[in-house]
Amino acid sequence: MTAVITGIGWVTAAGMGRGKDRTRLEMPAASLPEITRQAVFNAPYPRFGRMDRYCRLGLAAIAFALRDAALEKWSRKRNVGIIASTVYGCLNTDVDYCDTIMSQEGRLASPHLFAYTLPNCFLGEAAIRFGLTGSGFIVSAPSASELWCLRMALTNLSGGEFETVLCGICDLARPPFFPEADPAAPGALFLVIEALGRTDRTVYGALRLNRDGTPEFNGRPVKNLATLAREGLNAAAARRLPAPDRPPDPNLEWHFA
Amino acid sequence: MSAVWITNAAAVTPLGNDPGELWQRLLAGQTSIKPVTRFRTDNYHADLASCFDDLDPASGGSRGPTLLERLIPQIGPVPSEALLITATTKGGIDNLERTRRDLPAEARDMLLANMAEKICAQLGLTGGSLNINAACASSTLAVAQGAALIATGGVETVLIACMDLVTEFVFSGFSALQALSTTPCRPFDRKRSGLSLGEGAAALLLMSEARARREERSHLGTVLGWGAANDAHHITAPDPNGHGLQQAIEQALKRARLYPEDIIAISAHGTGTIYNDRMELKAFKTVFGDRRIPIYSVKGAIGHTLGAAGGIEVALGLKSLATQTVPPTVGFTNPEAGAEGCVSPTSLKIAGECLLTTNSGFGGINAALILGKGWAS
Repeated sequence: MTAVITGIGWVTAAGMGRGKDRTRLEMPAASLPEITRQAVFNAPYPRFGRMDRYCRLGLAAIAFALRDAALEKWSRKRNVGIIASTVYGCLNTDVDYCDTIMSQEGRLASPHLFAYTLPNCFLGEAAIRFGLTGSGFIVSAPSASELWCLRMALTNLSGGEFETVLCGICDLARPPFFPEADPAAPGALFLVIEALGRTDRTVYGALRLNRDGTPEFNGRPVKNLATLAREGLNAAAARRLPAPDRPPDPNLEWHFA
Repeated sequence: MSAVWITNAAAVTPLGNDPGELWQRLLAGQTSIKPVTRFRTDNYHADLASCFDDLDPASGGSRGPTLLERLIPQIGPVPSEALLITATTKGGIDNLERTRRDLPAEARDMLLANMAEKICAQLGLTGGSLNINAACASSTLAVAQGAALIATGGVETVLIACMDLVTEFVFSGFSALQALSTTPCRPFDRKRSGLSLGEGAAALLLMSEARARREERSHLGTVLGWGAANDAHHITAPDPNGHGLQQAIEQALKRARLYPEDIIAISAHGTGTIYNDRMELKAFKTVFGDRRIPIYSVKGAIGHTLGAAGGIEVALGLKSLATQTVPPTVGFTNPEAGAEGCVSPTSLKIAGECLLTTNSGFGGINAALILGKGWAS
C-alpha cells in the first residue's frame, strides 16, 4: 500500500510552521513558545484559550498541517482519522488537576481541568474544530512509539478505515518528577497522509509499509517522524514546491498519482 | 485477509477473579459496587465504586502492578514474538497522588507505556509493545487495532491487556463533573442518575486463524468486524443523535460483511449517565430499526472500568455467545424510552452467532466490535 504526505505542520521550541511556508523544521530541547490563538488562527476562537497547554500544542500543529494540505476549511464533516504518539501525554495537566484535589480535601476539584486529563482530548478538540469523524487514539510505546503510530496510520488507511489520516507526535516538556529521563525535545508535529491516487493535492513524497511492518519514505526506511518530515520538506524544496496559495502546476511531477 | 481468533480471555474484577466467576456472579445479578474505603469521599458527590478490598500498593507505590500480578497468570502461554497492545486511560496515576503528598512513588508507573514494559518483561515478549489511549474506548480500539494488524498479515499474534484503577484522582474528577450516581448505577433505567466507577483488568490473546489452528489453540470466538468514529461534537458529552456510534457500528458491520439482522445481542457501553444511555439507544435504533434486540450493560455489576471496560466486556461477550445467554443488566428496573423490550433485569436466552459490543468516551470517540461465536468455551 502506498500513501502520500500532503501536509506538514509543527510547533517546536524553534517556532511554528508548515511545510509550504518553506521554513526549517527544528526540534531543539528548549522551551516552547506561548501558543496564542492569534499565532495559530485568524478568527476568534474563545475555546482555544480555555484549553490546557498540551491540548493547544497538539491542536495548533494539527491546524498547521491541515492548512498545509489545504484541508483546514470544511463544510461537511469528513472521515479523517488522527493517530498521535506521546511519551508524557497530559501529565503536566494531571499535576495541575491533582493539586486542585490536594487542597481542601477535594472540595476544589476542577471539572474544567479534569476534562483535559486524558491525552486523547486534543484529538477530540481537533475533531470538533475541523469536523473530523475518523477514529483517533494516542500511542505510547516503550520504544519506537512514533513508528508504531505511523504503522497504524498506514494500516488503517490501507484498510479503508478513513480516507485521510493525521499522524504525529505531541509532548510538552518533561514533568519535573522524571529527573532520570532523557531531556526529549518538546513539541508537536503532524503529517497529513492520504492514499495514493485519492488526492490531487501537492505531495511531499510517498510512504509505503513493507511486509515486515516497517515504513519507508521515498524508498528509504523511516527513522522517526521529525526526520520523515524533514526529508519531505527537502524533497519538496528540491522540486520547488509552489508558494502556499498558488495553484499547483500540473506539468511538474508533484502528483505521484 | 486473515480471520482473527480469540484464543484466550482473562479478566479480574472485584466481582470475580476470572471470567468464569465473574460470569456466574453477573448471571446471579450481583454487584460489587459499594462504599469506597480506599480514600475519603466526604467531599465528593457520591461514595460508591467497585473496588477490590485487598488490592495493596506494589513496592513502587501504585496498585496497578498488583492488579497485573493477578491478571498475568491467567493469560496462559503467549508466543514470545507476540505484539503486546495495552490499554489504560490513567495507568498508575495513583502514584501522582502519592508524589504530590510527598510519599514514595515510582514515577515511571505514571507513564502510559509502562504497563506494556512491565508485561513484556514478565512474559518475555519480544515482538514489540505499545499502549493505546482513547478514553473509555481504549481497549475496544486496542482489540480493533490488533485485529487489523492480524487481518492484514502484519503480525500473527497480538496480546491485548487492559487495566484501570479506582483512584481519588479519577473519582474526584467524575464527582466534579457531577457524573457519579449516589446509588449503584442503573444503566438504561428511567431513574438513572450517573455512573459508578470500577476497577479491573483483562487480557485477550488474538491470533490468525492459520496460526491458531497450527498450534491447536482454543477458539473462544472471532473478531469479525470493528469500527471507530468521532462525534466531532463535544469534548465530554456524546452527540445526542448518536451519529459517531452509528458510524462505528456501520463500519464494523461492513467489515464483517454482516447485516444488522445478523446481530443477536448488544453489549452496550451503558454507563448509566443520562446522556450516554440515551445516545446509545438512539444509535441502536437508527442501525437496528424497531427490532427488539437484546441490549445489556455490565456496569451496574462491576462499575465503569474506563480503559479496561472494552476488554472485560469482550471477555464477557464471549461467555454470552458460548452460553447463548444475555446477562441481566444489574440495577435496571424501569426502561428508559427506547429500552422497552430490549434491556432486561434478568438473563435471557439467545440463539445466534454474532454479538455487537460498543464503547464511547471523552474526546467524542466511539468504537464497535462484532464478535463471532467460538467452537470451544
